[in-house]
Amino acid sequence: MLKKSFLLTAGSIALSAGLFSISVSADVGIDDIVADQASSDDIVSYGLGPRGQRFSPLSTINKSNVKNLFPVWSFSFGGEKQRGQESQPLIKDGVMYVTGSYSRMWAIDIATGEELWQYDARLPEGILPCCDVVNRGAAILGDKVFFGTLDAKIVALDAKTGNVVWRKTIGDFEAGYSYTAAPLIVPTEAHGPLILTGNSGGEFGIVGEVQARSPETGDIVWTRPVIEGHMGTLNGEESTMTGAKNESWPGDMWQNGGGAPWLGGTYDPDTKLAFFGTGNPAPWNSYLRPGDNKWTSARVAIDPENGEIVWGFQTTPHDGWDYDGVNEFVSFDMEKDGETIKAGATADRNGFFYVLDRTNGEFVSAAPFVQNISWAKGIDETGRPIFDDANRPGDPVESADGKKGKSIFAVPSFLGGKNWMPMAYSQQTEMFYIPSNEWGMDLWNEPVTYKKGAAYLGAGFTIKPIFDDYIGSLKAMDPATGEIRWEYKNKAPLWGGVLTTGGGLVFTGTPEGFLKAFDAETGEELWKFQTGTGIVSSPITWEQDGEQWVAIVTGWGGAVPLWGGEVAKVVSYLNQGGSVWAFKVPEQLANR
Amino acid sequence: MNTMTIVGKTFSKRLMLPVITSIVCVLTTGLMSFAHARDLPPDPYESVMWENMAERFFPGDKVIFDERVKVIAPQSAEDQFHVPLTIDASEISDVVEVVAVADLNPIPHILTFRPKKAHAFLGFRLKLQQATAIHVGVRTKDDVWHIGAAYIDAAGGGCTAPAAVHGTVNWMSTLGQTRALARRDANGDARMTLRMRHPMDTGLASGIPAFFMNTITVRDQNQEVLAELELFEPVSENPTLTIKPFVSKNGGLLEVAARDNEGHEFGFGLSVPAGIDP
Repeated sequence: MLKKSFLLTAGSIALSAGLFSISVSADVGIDDIVADQASSDDIVSYGLGPRGQRFSPLSTINKSNVKNLFPVWSFSFGGEKQRGQESQPLIKDGVMYVTGSYSRMWAIDIATGEELWQYDARLPEGILPCCDVVNRGAAILGDKVFFGTLDAKIVALDAKTGNVVWRKTIGDFEAGYSYTAAPLIVPTEAHGPLILTGNSGGEFGIVGEVQARSPETGDIVWTRPVIEGHMGTLNGEESTMTGAKNESWPGDMWQNGGGAPWLGGTYDPDTKLAFFGTGNPAPWNSYLRPGDNKWTSARVAIDPENGEIVWGFQTTPHDGWDYDGVNEFVSFDMEKDGETIKAGATADRNGFFYVLDRTNGEFVSAAPFVQNISWAKGIDETGRPIFDDANRPGDPVESADGKKGKSIFAVPSFLGGKNWMPMAYSQQTEMFYIPSNEWGMDLWNEPVTYKKGAAYLGAGFTIKPIFDDYIGSLKAMDPATGEIRWEYKNKAPLWGGVLTTGGGLVFTGTPEGFLKAFDAETGEELWKFQTGTGIVSSPITWEQDGEQWVAIVTGWGGAVPLWGGEVAKVVSYLNQGGSVWAFKVPEQLANR
Repeated sequence: MNTMTIVGKTFSKRLMLPVITSIVCVLTTGLMSFAHARDLPPDPYESVMWENMAERFFPGDKVIFDERVKVIAPQSAEDQFHVPLTIDASEISDVVEVVAVADLNPIPHILTFRPKKAHAFLGFRLKLQQATAIHVGVRTKDDVWHIGAAYIDAAGGGCTAPAAVHGTVNWMSTLGQTRALARRDANGDARMTLRMRHPMDTGLASGIPAFFMNTITVRDQNQEVLAELELFEPVSENPTLTIKPFVSKNGGLLEVAARDNEGHEFGFGLSVPAGIDP
């Protein structure tokens, strides 16, 4: 009774604030999000449009004038919390909303680079993020901005003030749940717009789940665990079980099966499906869980109306290498053999680039995008990997003391041919630009049992570069043929996202601190700027007051410096930071 | 300057740092202030911040010092993290809101109290950064600010230290835990005291963001609001509050709802015993 009356009060405040702001400025509507890619004066979704293509039609900055791109301002995140900054900013009405390490968020006046407000989540002691204290971005709808925090909460803030409107729990941080991805807002007929989140914690034996909430109240509308055997919910009641219990999992291993959809999802307005990638199965030691372990290391298409899985596609069934299948599934229309395929593409941790039919999940093609892949001999015509059994780490049970199985060298490493950093698809060149890494790992299995809040791996590992002179590799991939059209090699591993534009450009950042622009056709490097610390985030571009801007968040960190191995040699000297840089071509140079 | 003299006389050397900090604060705020058009009555404690406080927190042109606003405080704070303060303006009728400020705190605004169906009476504890005047403005329906004041000598640093609870690992698991007591005064008035666990972080301790309970609403069993409180950073860790709501002589139920600046919500119910005629 008490709770209800309080919520009523809060609701009515929110409602009146909404009415007020409608009359003075245009709030972000769900149609703005769905059509985000076409409108270049704002960025109201992660991925520059819900399909996640990271393609902007803007062409004011082009191959000939990009050399005149200069910084306008730099904004420091301040404090002593300079860890990895993986965030993609949002832009609306001259305001930038950007998140940072340790669950912080800022609103910045783009015209001046001045802070409008800052929000610092008060995190509890004992949070368990596996791989640095990053955040990848916010979502925006109405008069609110939303983002997830490291203690597995989602927070709605008043976009004007940064005050907390509501705060809800995604998972129990003490059991290892965490949250780092940008939330996804999708339209539905049954419930209006919903805000979708995955979760993190695959290294702690959590259960991967997608949750849909009302953006207005934060109340859950549906949940969809991605591990077979768990029940989903809809409107507060049990809906359906994911798959069938024990179909692809032995015993009770599904109860701590992992599969965290930790990188969030994309949405395709044509098919009205939300696509989430799922993480590695838990534990890493695959001998403890014979079977395909659905839906780990997979892509699942979810109907936002009810949370049902419409189709699933496992890139690495029965994974034994930590090849999370979380990488973004990017919808695009592909011309092949005179036909237009409603396709989607994803560059997997396992080193293969997959094209699927996004209407039904059927396999179209797969091609390697990194060299010397050793865990599989290839992908068969159904899309299933042809495993190389010699390169799956040995069963520890078969070792002399039962404590450590045979170690193998597998390519790619567990950090993947491509990790979290999103690729881009150009509607102009019809190519994907994939930030990838050429590395492998020594990997062995160990016995392990589940304990709440403790690492649940059953494996040991160390990463090794494959080539002496480079690890990072930005590649242009033709999705129709699987051919690599060009490659840019980078000494340190690439860990930042990619942007491509109607000006025929490809932007990405490097751990060495450069934001770089390349010719989208040839890969020729056309421009670079040293930001003073490593870049592990995704660039954006937008138009404001008739000018095209580019912005990038900087601050070295993420998973690479934590796991290092031999790779540490090329990254150990890199310094941390935390800021946003905004660029444009000065007016007097725009036409030169 | 009077204030500074007292500071210099009373404080030991180890307190220099907080004192310096507060001087910077004063200068900064001083720069933002401007000539005051209105005539303010002089502050009995000659606080250097009086005009600035009045401008920010007691706006309008009707400001009077009124001895019916009793601000009961110790002469000297034994513990700068927990300084007891009682405000009693129950002799004034038609009170709309009560605003309390600590002039020389880095964050001066302590709380705002709206006694809808309660005495204009409030007991609580606050943090003090240094010796300071306390000003309490009681706004009545005719938009007159009735001011009461007190001066508290204090050792420094109450606002810039981490909360005591941060020495423990799982402090967040007890967030919002509440002890509350309702009883009757000798004259039959209902009186409620509550203490809620919360660090009340000011955001000024290194590396710890502001995190504080910021609204408390007390309703009766018919959901009618008896009192509203807006708390700010200077309220002490584990806020302890006493109010005197109007409750029927036959007794009744109080429903308390609280929310912090991170959106955590807390609530509980408390029954008030029947009153006895004095």
